[in-house]
Amino acid sequence: MSTLEIKDLKVTVTENEQERLILKGVNLTLKTGETHAIMGPNGTGKSTLSETIMGNPAYHIISGQILLDGENLVKKTVDERARAGLFLAMQYPAEIKGVTNIEFLRAAINARRATDDQIPVTDFLDRLDEKLAVLNMSDSMAERYLNEGFSGGEKKRNEILQLLMIQPKFAILDEIDSGLDIDALQVVAKGVNAMKSPDFGTLMITHYQRLLNYIVPDFVHVMMDGRIVKTGDAQLAHTLEAEGYAGLRDELGLDVPLTDDDVD
Amino acid sequence: MTMWTSGVTKVDNQMLLTGVQQYSQTQHEPDWLQQLRQQALQAYFNLPLPKFEKINYRDWPLFDFSVPSVLESEPVTGELAKQAATQQFYAVGDSTIQLTLPMAALRQGVILSDLRSAITHHGDLVQKYLMQKALHVGDDKLTSLNTAMMTNGFFLYVPKNVQLEAPIELLQIVDNRTTQNYFSHNLLIADSGSQVNVIQRLASVGDQANTAHVLVEVMAEANSQVNFAGIDTMSAQTTAYLNRRGYLAADAKLDWEFAEMNAGNVIADFDSELKGRGSEAMVKTIAIANQKQTQALDTRVTNYGKQTVANIVQRGIILDAATLIFNGIGHIIKGAHGAKANQENRLLMLSTKARGDANPILLIDENDVEAGHAASVGRVDEQQMYYLLSRGIPKPVAERLVIRGFLAGVITELRSQRLRQELNDVIERRLTDGQND
Repeated sequence: MSTLEIKDLKVTVTENEQERLILKGVNLTLKTGETHAIMGPNGTGKSTLSETIMGNPAYHIISGQILLDGENLVKKTVDERARAGLFLAMQYPAEIKGVTNIEFLRAAINARRATDDQIPVTDFLDRLDEKLAVLNMSDSMAERYLNEGFSGGEKKRNEILQLLMIQPKFAILDEIDSGLDIDALQVVAKGVNAMKSPDFGTLMITHYQRLLNYIVPDFVHVMMDGRIVKTGDAQLAHTLEAEGYAGLRDELGLDVPLTDDDVD
Repeated sequence: MTMWTSGVTKVDNQMLLTGVQQYSQTQHEPDWLQQLRQQALQAYFNLPLPKFEKINYRDWPLFDFSVPSVLESEPVTGELAKQAATQQFYAVGDSTIQLTLPMAALRQGVILSDLRSAITHHGDLVQKYLMQKALHVGDDKLTSLNTAMMTNGFFLYVPKNVQLEAPIELLQIVDNRTTQNYFSHNLLIADSGSQVNVIQRLASVGDQANTAHVLVEVMAEANSQVNFAGIDTMSAQTTAYLNRRGYLAADAKLDWEFAEMNAGNVIADFDSELKGRGSEAMVKTIAIANQKQTQALDTRVTNYGKQTVANIVQRGIILDAATLIFNGIGHIIKGAHGAKANQENRLLMLSTKARGDANPILLIDENDVEAGHAASVGRVDEQQMYYLLSRGIPKPVAERLVIRGFLAGVITELRSQRLRQELNDVIERRLTDGQND
């Protein structure tokens, strides 16, 4: 069993040459075998949290720790964190022309193996075929250039394909449901659920409860204004869906502007 | 006389005139050629150094040479020898080691030989084409020097309407095992209606410093189709001046594919003259510069004929403290009605010390034409890098993937699958070389 612990994490980003505090002290513990969901209104720091855990250089940690089985990852590079067992399914995956999905996946898998023990091609292709089948993806998608010309839904599916191929300890799924129709959502959920095991933990980030009908969380965390303000079980998501974030904010007596309020 | 290095001497003009004449006589060259060499020498003496935009190569050892002589080179060993075994033409230094042509090609009258033997056995063809159509004595200092000093090269003639399917592969190896001259002059004549695929590979062996002067004249006569790939992998010890020049008659098509994977300093002229109406030239280039080297490529297509079409696509990678210059020149001459000239030059820099210039030069002297250019010099996209790293791929591997992706725009357009694979391997080697230092 592995544990991912976020301790009092405070993070800034640079906006107009000024540092703006986004995460104001996040605490969170995930164990393998568990499925967590973080919900919350727009602009509250959900994506900042996921990008910071992965090590995106655009986000600056001013204090706090990210511990994987007790080891602090804060000073580690992005690729080191990935090889340590973290995976981030991105909201906006990059497109890389000229690099095929297949060579990308092989490079990712081989990065985790010794140079004299690279994955044999047939083993790799067998695994790929199996995972493609789970996601109803065609062979041709694996041969296409990485995300190039992929539709929104294809990109999300491709993120999950990578997840299945790489088999990390912890996956953070950043709005994996955005832009998906119901059919695609079911396929993506099937992929994530196929990962379920005592050796794998998930952290989903979403706006909507809908995703949680397909990937049922053990824990739901609500994030507002850079902090986790409430934690519950799957039922909490249903309550939020019914009452909205404003209801919870008022119940907790928080003085937090919500983007939706601004719009109103 | 000043001694520069063990074998190469700086020679004065009078010594050169005498030396070239003596060489020509010992080779029993015909009078016309002896005269051509002397004319070329005079042009060399009188002309200034040609100008390459954005590059100063005055201090390069391009003029450190001795008078021409007959040199013998031994075959190479190792990996290069394995590749050599598969070639139709294989030469080391001035020595032609291997010459083979399929029987079918021989029966159709195709001639493949070295230049020396072509001068003896096909003197009329050599006289008709050598510095007569693609290049001319007096065009510039460097091509004139080569014409005066040339000691060998390949000669390929494809007769009228002969269409060769299988590529003719030519491996020419600069012999750096001793200090010596390398003046190679090569002729490819595709007679009217013919079709030929050629792959020329320039490599080197040995660790002495030499300068390679290489000229290739490609004559594509009416309605011919020439596909010419040049894959150059000369070592850091080889300073090179390369000139590949195409002449296109009416409705001829010339497809160039270049890979400049040399490790030394290189200036190159890759030019095409669209003389005949409806002729078309396509130039695709990839180049990598690393460590402290400079590679500067002038790629020019000139539209003389009506309805001629020129296309240039170039991609280059710059690492370390290297310099890579792409000068793309599209020139449409007055009277070339309906001509098209397009070019795209892109460079990717992977180091803050790298220097790159993608410099499109359009010279348009006619109105009803179509001309376009795109150029960029950029750095590795950070989002792409982050994405690759986030999957656990270490930075050097991720960079190689991004580089391969950048070059793929050209590589995937190459005609032959085998060539695409070969180039991917060469690129991989070039990039790993740099990282080991």
